[in-house]
Amino acid sequence: MTFFSRAVLLFICGIVQIFFAAHLLFDWSILKLPSDLMFIPGVFVLLAWAILSIDYYFGKKEKSNALYDEYIADRYYKLGAAGFSIFGLGIFGLFAIQDFSNWNLQAANEFILNLSAFLWFVFGALIVIFSYGDYKESVDG
Amino acid sequence: MGKDHKDLVVLLTHKRKEAGITQASLAEAVQVSRKSINAIENGVYVPSTVLSIKIATVLNCNVEDIFKLHDGTFPLLMESDKYE
Repeated sequence: MTFFSRAVLLFICGIVQIFFAAHLLFDWSILKLPSDLMFIPGVFVLLAWAILSIDYYFGKKEKSNALYDEYIADRYYKLGAAGFSIFGLGIFGLFAIQDFSNWNLQAANEFILNLSAFLWFVFGALIVIFSYGDYKESVDG
Repeated sequence: MGKDHKDLVVLLTHKRKEAGITQASLAEAVQVSRKSINAIENGVYVPSTVLSIKIATVLNCNVEDIFKLHDGTFPLLMESDKYE
């Protein structure tokens, strides 16, 4: 694993998340994707997690030391904190616009889908920004 | 002075150049990425105690020679002998 391959891996993950989130949030009908395909970004996240974990534990020690050092860990921590903060605001907003006086199963379904789409969107955007910045820093920084 | 940590004075660039070591070689010696060394030198990132000691060991100096608090940041330092 190199800085470039990690950036590509995370970039793909982020783009997939953004695509599926946007598809649901903005009601795109380009590919006629059904809502139950929303698990696909999760598959990408799990695959990326598995690849990065295997590389961390079984990859070349010299490369792992540089790829997964404390500065990167600090950046990931900040990315996670930012993601959860924005997501928290989103949950607040989504709750605020619900009409609980006419609450039914369909409204609940839409609410859950909007929540998951917003989650994918926020973390997808953050991962795309992070992957670009991470690679750019490794070249210029 | 650190860019993001206003109280910290980072003298790593000076010490590293004095020792005639590049960012890449220092990074390899202390087992981190070159960009981490760059981030430390620019005051973007404050390293852990362990990494600070590793850097100081490679540069053959004390941690205090690389990282200092900005004057007036911590008035108690003037009376530090009270706490020894």
